[in-house]
Amino acid sequence: MSEAFILCIATLFLLAAVGTPIAFSIISGAVVYLLMAGQDVGIAGEQIIYGLYDSFVLLAVPLFIVAANIMNAGTISERLLDFCVAVVGRFKGGLGHVNVVSSLIFSGMSGSAIADAAGIGKVVINMMVKSGHYTRGYAAALTAASATIGPIIPPSIPMVLYALVSDSSIGFLFLGGVVPGLLMAATLMVMNAYICQRRGFAADTAPPLSQLPRATMRAFPALLLPVILLYGIYGGITTPTEAAAVAAAYALLISAVLYRAIKWGDLRAVMFESVRSSASVGLVIGGALILNYIVASEGIPAQLAEFLKSMDVSPLGFMIACNLLLLALGCVLDASTIILVIVPLFLATCRALGIDLVYFGVIVVVNCMIGLITPPYGVLLFVINGTTGIKLSEMIKEIWPFLLALLVALALMVAFPQIILWLPQQFGYVPAGLMW
Amino acid sequence: MQTRKNWWQARADDVAVGLLTAMFLVFILQITSRYVFNAPLEWTLEACLTLWLWTVFWGSAFCLRNEDHIRFDMLYVLMGKRVRRVLAGLSALAVLAAMAVALPGTWDFVSFLQIKKSPSLRIPLFYVFSIYIVFMVATIVAYGWRLWSIIRSEDALEAGESPA
Repeated sequence: MSEAFILCIATLFLLAAVGTPIAFSIISGAVVYLLMAGQDVGIAGEQIIYGLYDSFVLLAVPLFIVAANIMNAGTISERLLDFCVAVVGRFKGGLGHVNVVSSLIFSGMSGSAIADAAGIGKVVINMMVKSGHYTRGYAAALTAASATIGPIIPPSIPMVLYALVSDSSIGFLFLGGVVPGLLMAATLMVMNAYICQRRGFAADTAPPLSQLPRATMRAFPALLLPVILLYGIYGGITTPTEAAAVAAAYALLISAVLYRAIKWGDLRAVMFESVRSSASVGLVIGGALILNYIVASEGIPAQLAEFLKSMDVSPLGFMIACNLLLLALGCVLDASTIILVIVPLFLATCRALGIDLVYFGVIVVVNCMIGLITPPYGVLLFVINGTTGIKLSEMIKEIWPFLLALLVALALMVAFPQIILWLPQQFGYVPAGLMW
Repeated sequence: MQTRKNWWQARADDVAVGLLTAMFLVFILQITSRYVFNAPLEWTLEACLTLWLWTVFWGSAFCLRNEDHIRFDMLYVLMGKRVRRVLAGLSALAVLAAMAVALPGTWDFVSFLQIKKSPSLRIPLFYVFSIYIVFMVATIVAYGWRLWSIIRSEDALEAGESPA
């Protein structure tokens, strides 16, 4: 580790800590490094430009953002919710289950937890609060927790970012998330049922079963979207990136033409919102690329791998340590920053210890998503606070049991890699190295 | 003055919306021509990548305020008004300095690419990558302006910067 590198990291942390945008903090750190190391400062720009310009995979990020924003602008969310109410609304804690199941379905269309919480999440919170059976905090906490499933079930923006830094297959990563996403939904529903029972929340009035066919028909075109996406990717028709464009086009088609719920004026607002998200994520990606270049040229990941190997760390011990670190970082950092900047440090160690990178990637993304609801810095809590006005303190009071439920799901995934790897293996994936 | 600034802002936003929309449409064109007409187009991929590059840097240069960026503001929002002002000033100065120091070297790299053309559209890469120079200059101006406002007035930070 050279002096230049230490100064680079110090600059980065100092600037980021006082509230400088992460991307600018990284670029400033990189400039300090290049100057100190006597290299050409133009390298920073070169790495950022070529990194963004050369990566076809990254194009999925803005396209999935567009798709999610279109779905939230139209009535797709409402139709899905009606369908979910008709299916699981009749059980005790029914609207809580509706919350989880609607997130699960929505997660098969959007790749972003924030889009999930801000879109369908906001609607379901209103329904739960209006029913009078749940407290505002409970509705918001469950929504935040179930929104974390969004990027676990394909498609997934964080997995695209992980695929970029780890060079693993997006197709297999997406498949690896399916069973874990279902597992997370199951643990949340069990927790919801348990709490509703214990706290004696009144049962919701369910619509008669005769409404199910109608609700299904109304939601059917939207329900087809996950099927189209998966068939496109795994039927070898589209690449995952192209699938993102297909998702956006299909969402636009059904919202604008079939449901007539979106107008030209709305569309400009949708695209502008997408530009802002894409640009801010894109800039952090660019920053991460130059930082990864510096970290790699300093040989940090290899040194870390060697160090951990010399400590004779077992793969499982390493995984547990990684989880603890990622969960701790998730309390204070944004998910894309963790995946793009921190995770690359550990990839060499994974390879050295024989830990499969698809398995590791899914675990990383689950950790980061749990980080989105852990106080004090939980982006999903902020988003729900912003869209519904429910106080952070109300949500935080109710979030703990759901956090526990998600941690149980995570622990199961770490302990039993087959939960993640079984489905990719059915599609011909061969996991690297030994697993426990 | 304010309305004129708003007018320019709206046009800058229009350009950004246009870039992203164009990227989306070119993608659809690429998929349609390949799978429906079985006639893959060669230029679409490069066009998408160029439009993506431009969306990111145009958007970052002209459509994102300091508060719209991904930031770690946990400590920042805990501080009092006066400390915040000092921190925001230092951070603006650092961004300004880093960009200004890197500008000549980056210009050398980009302007050198006048002789190199993109693989399928045959556009000199200088034009494709020049958006990064635009972004750097816009960032220098924006953070210079931010620094100046922070020094000049105590209330410069209050507009649009109240924590959630």
